[in-house]
Amino acid sequence: MTSTTKRQVLVSARGLEVHFPIRAGGLLRRGTGVLRAVDGVDLDVYRGETLGLVGESGCGKSTLGNALLRLVRPTGGTVSFDGAEVTAMSRAQLRDLRRRAGMVFQDPFASLDPRRTVAQTVGEPLEVHGLHPGRQARAARVRELLELVGLDPGVAARYPHEFSGGQRQRVGIARALAGEPDFLVCDEAIASLDVSVQAQVLNLLRRLQRQLGLTLLFISHDLSAVRHVSDRIAVMYLGRVVEVGPAAAVAAEPQMPYTRALLSAVPLPHPQLERSRRRIVLRGDVPSPARVPSGCRFRTRCPDVFEPCPDVDPALQPVGSAPGHVAACHLHGVVGTPVQRERPGEPVDAGDPAR
Amino acid sequence: MTQLPTPGATPAQPPPSEPIPAAAPPRPRWRETLGLLARNPTAAVSAVVLVLIVLVAVFDETLAPDGPNDQDPGRQLQPPSWAHPFGTDEFGRDVFSRVVLGAATSLRVGFLSVAFALVVGTLIGLLAGFYGRWVDDTLMRLMDVLFAFPAVLLAIAIVAIRGAGPANAILAIGIVYVPIFARVTRASVLGVREEVYVRASRSVGASDWRLITRHVLPNAAPPIIVQTSISLAFAVLAEAALSFLGLGPRRPNPSWGLMLADGRGFIEQAWWYTVFPGLAIVVTVLCFNLLGDGLRDVLDPRQRTLMAGGGR
Amino acid sequence: MTSLSKAPQPAAGPVLEVEDLRVRLRTPRGTAHVVNGLGYSVGPGETVAVVGESGSGKSVSVLALLGLLPPRTATVSGRALLHGEDLLTMSPERLRQVRGPGVGMVFQDPMTSLNPVLSVGRQLTEGLRAHGHVSKAAARARAVELLGEVGLPDPGRAVDRFPHELSGGMRQRVVIAIALANSPSLLIADEATTALDVTVQAQILDLVERLQTEHGTGVVWITHDLGVVAGIADRVLVMYGGRCVEDGTVDDVLERPAHPYTRGLLGALPDLAADDGGDLATIAGTPPPPTDLPAGCVFWPRCPVRGDARCETEQPPLAPVKGSHYRDKGTSGVPGEGQYRDEGTSGVPHRAATWCAEGSGS
Repeated sequence: MTSTTKRQVLVSARGLEVHFPIRAGGLLRRGTGVLRAVDGVDLDVYRGETLGLVGESGCGKSTLGNALLRLVRPTGGTVSFDGAEVTAMSRAQLRDLRRRAGMVFQDPFASLDPRRTVAQTVGEPLEVHGLHPGRQARAARVRELLELVGLDPGVAARYPHEFSGGQRQRVGIARALAGEPDFLVCDEAIASLDVSVQAQVLNLLRRLQRQLGLTLLFISHDLSAVRHVSDRIAVMYLGRVVEVGPAAAVAAEPQMPYTRALLSAVPLPHPQLERSRRRIVLRGDVPSPARVPSGCRFRTRCPDVFEPCPDVDPALQPVGSAPGHVAACHLHGVVGTPVQRERPGEPVDAGDPAR
Repeated sequence: MTQLPTPGATPAQPPPSEPIPAAAPPRPRWRETLGLLARNPTAAVSAVVLVLIVLVAVFDETLAPDGPNDQDPGRQLQPPSWAHPFGTDEFGRDVFSRVVLGAATSLRVGFLSVAFALVVGTLIGLLAGFYGRWVDDTLMRLMDVLFAFPAVLLAIAIVAIRGAGPANAILAIGIVYVPIFARVTRASVLGVREEVYVRASRSVGASDWRLITRHVLPNAAPPIIVQTSISLAFAVLAEAALSFLGLGPRRPNPSWGLMLADGRGFIEQAWWYTVFPGLAIVVTVLCFNLLGDGLRDVLDPRQRTLMAGGGR
Repeated sequence: MTSLSKAPQPAAGPVLEVEDLRVRLRTPRGTAHVVNGLGYSVGPGETVAVVGESGSGKSVSVLALLGLLPPRTATVSGRALLHGEDLLTMSPERLRQVRGPGVGMVFQDPMTSLNPVLSVGRQLTEGLRAHGHVSKAAARARAVELLGEVGLPDPGRAVDRFPHELSGGMRQRVVIAIALANSPSLLIADEATTALDVTVQAQILDLVERLQTEHGTGVVWITHDLGVVAGIADRVLVMYGGRCVEDGTVDDVLERPAHPYTRGLLGALPDLAADDGGDLATIAGTPPPPTDLPAGCVFWPRCPVRGDARCETEQPPLAPVKGSHYRDKGTSGVPGEGQYRDEGTSGVPHRAATWCAEGSGS
């Protein structure tokens, strides 16, 4: 998993920002602020690995996944895919990116067009990119794809409403794989499924990843599932990646207080363990992405907050013992950009959501 | 850490592949819609009556016993009888024949004006809803302006500029309904545009044109279909109103609205002169409305899954 | 978190006793047998978790208790005694009286259980004033107090806020405050933390446990999340196809599952605590539709064991699991565990509706 040999970067984000203007209604539609959904993310995805991206709702993990594929336009920073600059791609290059990078969505009931058959849905990328031309070749490829994801090829003519959630998600995966992509983004792909069905889909994704040599970005709020499928884990908080490292290291020795709290909050199905475990219960709520606290954005809830936290925006730095384990936390040494203030000594905005 | 004794006894045999629910053989969607419509008695009866009215309009010359202007000089303003089931008018013309022949005029004006409004309005609504931003602002403000004119006044203005006649009546009524279709379409498109399957299709590289034609329009269609049915009712009424005001088809061509206008002067002596064309209008309008309501129910996806027994 | 912290209760009977609860729903596709003979009891200060996947009938079973199913389509039978009074035969008027002070409810989506046009304070005081003669000012003071109790920051200002101004976690706290406003003896939580993030879920679980300890409330916790169950429950009831397929103490059911379904469910969970293993165990297929339940054991069509010829034709009864007497030797180290165990051995058998427990129990 954690081979120390030279690994090739497939997707890479540098200082990636996705800010949404907050608009007040009314005739003039003035911008009244920005929502910093993704706010300066540095992240590399290595070829052939599964990178798990975890975080709580509203942390920007989905937006990040979409921005990497330019399904949402970044407002700042850069993304490169296999060496090509995604943010500066031409129409033709973008079409090629759409073939080489697929996406699996959360809700299998919403992600399939109810008026199109399974064959039409799975065959759409083939049509769009002119792959396997000819009616028969295309139908054969669709059958092949359905078999690949564990569905009976005979279902090609059926409509989505005839399927269960797990089966629909398989159809969604088949569609994402139709163009033989290198990179697959799974955006909460198991969140709406029942536990036993989740396991089926997780197993399928792992098998496909090995079988096809896919690079997988597995976005989820479910830490146990992420831990299970991922080679590396990235933790996001309030628009920023705050810790990245080998899955085992992040799960066993989290280095950033937020990751620690997140891990400790995951309920485990072992009663004795649960009784003896100490949960770190965080204070309050996640601040609004429209009012990001200065310096370290976790400081308003951090149990270990100390002096430099409001003044220096922490950068990712090597932590722990595992190679490639980085975290953005001053507890490991104050590294980062000092916060610019209009007047020195001015009290720092706490970014308290209650205000 | 703790180990589960036997975390889920691993299956002895390879797990059987998940059975696909034995659903009915794939049916085209329109067949399903028709089937569901047949189970809605009001809508079904309305549809049958409308088909009959259209047949009457198509075969009007065969069905009408007399020509539109055949006069029976000795028998003006006769009450209904075997010879003239709807009576005769002040020139001794057969009201039944004229109602039958008028169906073609009324329906033609209705269908063509709604077709015009449907095409133009849906296109505008699609563009405004799908692209949003300035496209939406520009197109919809234009529609608002159009909508702000009282419908009849707008029609009168158009006819006043271009002259009376069926073609101009069609144009006038059509233009009046364009904003309605544009709004209905836009509202529907705004909902569909945000659907995950549209994003999913975009994520595999589908072009805007493809998204609009393959995904957005088919899924946004139900309210537009309902609106079409209801607009047809209003268009038939509007045609009658314009004819009544002398802005539609000209005398002596038969048209329900014209007959109503002409019969008004004789309402006390000859009720049949106004009642029968009026009834034709009422029945047609009512049926289009009821069919529209029925379609609304049938095309509602929630209703559909409930009745067809599919879905979650 | 530990069950020993529950306040000692006066030796009263159980808060809730459900016997042979059955619910049938009329659907366009025929009669749905959603709940088929469910029985359990909840003592004061006790937490009973009802676990199951979607369609197992777990939510319907509590909606039925509270008379919240549409009467035109639902047929409910059995008994559900709240302090000895049958909820199922109660007059609607009496049921309304009981709902506030007797039973509090918390549902999955806090937004839909709050009225968006009323302030938080209004919604809280409404419940207070409906069930007791309290002055407006006193009710407001109590509302502030309650909001503070559920851990809402700045409760004095929070009372005047509207639901949309609060985050999901804060909304769920408000819902809990409303549910607890009249100090009910029973709290029913239906997937109450499912829509929340884990850190917020941890806050809510802590809150419920604290309030339970303070007030001795009996809790029925409905969830699909076995992790939450392990943390909060004293007893567990696993539902499948509208039946209880296994019940017992949380340790028995989660650590020594006897029913193939429970085992499958546990095996299907990726484990954060364990090292990355191979593939997860899966349960093939999907749950049976309640309109078309199998003739024999509800789990038979998906069962990987099928150890007995009777399984296909006959529903196994819920019977005590053989060889489940090794409570004495287990679980050392956790203080107070013994006390709990005594209570457990006396009142809580480990039962499963299966014939194959003995064969593959090791």
